[in-house]
Amino acid sequence: MNRRPIVGTYSCSDSAVKQILLTMNEKDPFVIEDLDDYHLVIKADEEYRVRRELEAELEKNTYSLETN
Amino acid sequence: MPVQSLQKTDVIVPQHAPHPLLPFLQSQSQTTLTRLYQRPSSCLSIFRLLGPIERQLIMNLLWLESALSAATMSAWVLPEGKNAYDSALAVMTGLHIAQNSAVKLALNPTFKSSLRQAITGGGNTGSFGVPADNSARRQSANIENLDAYALERWETILHYMVSSGQGQNPTKPSQGVLYLLQRSGLMNNAHGAALQITSSGFQFLLHSPHDQLWNLLLQYLHMAEERQMDLVEVLSFLFMLSTMDLGREYSTEPLSETQKAMLEDLRDYGLVWQRKTSSKRFSPTRLATTLTSSSPSLPSSHSTGGSRTADSTGAVALSSGTVQQGFIVLETNYRIYAYTDNPLQTAVLNLFITMKYRFPNLVVGMLTRESVRKALGNGISADQIISYLTTHAHPQMRKNNPLLPVTVQDQIRLWELERNRLKSAEGYLYKDFASQADYEYVLAYAKQLDVVLWENAAKRCFFGTLEGHANVRGFIERRTGSA
Repeated sequence: MNRRPIVGTYSCSDSAVKQILLTMNEKDPFVIEDLDDYHLVIKADEEYRVRRELEAELEKNTYSLETN
Repeated sequence: MPVQSLQKTDVIVPQHAPHPLLPFLQSQSQTTLTRLYQRPSSCLSIFRLLGPIERQLIMNLLWLESALSAATMSAWVLPEGKNAYDSALAVMTGLHIAQNSAVKLALNPTFKSSLRQAITGGGNTGSFGVPADNSARRQSANIENLDAYALERWETILHYMVSSGQGQNPTKPSQGVLYLLQRSGLMNNAHGAALQITSSGFQFLLHSPHDQLWNLLLQYLHMAEERQMDLVEVLSFLFMLSTMDLGREYSTEPLSETQKAMLEDLRDYGLVWQRKTSSKRFSPTRLATTLTSSSPSLPSSHSTGGSRTADSTGAVALSSGTVQQGFIVLETNYRIYAYTDNPLQTAVLNLFITMKYRFPNLVVGMLTRESVRKALGNGISADQIISYLTTHAHPQMRKNNPLLPVTVQDQIRLWELERNRLKSAEGYLYKDFASQADYEYVLAYAKQLDVVLWENAAKRCFFGTLEGHANVRGFIERRTGSA
């Protein structure tokens, strides 16, 4: 019975965000385990960096009508 | 005794939100409260802070000499109103106004005699303030000057909060005020020495002046004990102020040492006006006289020849529940036109709007994604922005139904949701269970403790919270130990 619980941060998001996180993971691994379509377990100390990068990634998809 | 029994319509009427001071009073001891009730003005002010049902009950019991049987009183209550009646009684007992045993119902005798004095005008305790004699060589301040003074003091404080850390240099309020702002968590010095506004500070800015004032005063009361000020003196002085006449001068002679020390603090907040620090007389401003009333605390600073019907008691009739005249027009193209020249209001709008143009009486801006996200990042919520815009909406907007365009409201909320796409929680992932039965056993235990965030029976693993980890691990070890 080997039962070593793994410490980490459990993240819940929609599936689109999860896929973005998996793509980011290929460059800079931080995912410990992929739970299901909406959940991931990621390294606890990486959480802040991951959030920042995710925001930057999502910003690329926004469009704003600021002309002046 | 004709009594309007609590009918069903009374219960549906929107609940009178309990005044924020009441929980503070309820946390005080009975001796403190009884000492407070010795002064008629305090009793009257507290009476005005209570809800309608409590007030009715007090008036019913006020002129009785002996205690009333509890059964008699509850016979007047219709079954639908029972809950409201019980909660009103609970509030009154919590404040030690009513002594409630299961059989008899009576008012606290000190409270009873003081309130009677307040209503019938008897006694000479001077608790309503002793007017200064009229042999003044200099003219006393008139109402316009008092209003201007109060407005200037109050807006200095708010303006300092808004524009700190944004590169502007507003006039600083006094040291005492800064200390109070810091203690109440509205500002802190996060980056070095300068004070910066916090997210609760931002939320504070969007409240009405009445709520803001009481927020600060409650903080002041909490600090009173540390500064060795007698809480009863402080409270009774505040209540005395709230019953004074606007525009009349009062003498400082009968005030105690604590109360004289308070005068300086209250000057900084704009509650009283004194010609100079050593002056023997002071005048309350509108902020003070409306402490326990529902009249607007500040005169509308941009009254365009509108409703300034102040009489000497400072009671201005409320118009449709808005504190000041509304000045914001919001269009469906996200543009905002604010008819104001008040720098504080402009600064508050600047928190969540991108300014475009500025005219002597008009400010034009747009609600953009960037500006709203900046506000959301500072801790303001979408609901607060929407309720601020609703409260200060220009009278012309009232033709629309709903008041604010639905598209704009929804978009603000969507921008808020955008920020919350990823939620996270720290914890432990439990996997590698030897058998299904093992897994289910541990899972059941963890569920009992309510620490399970996610589970998957097929893969035989689940995720538990950080706090529950110690318990679950202990449980597992006991199982492996015994197995």
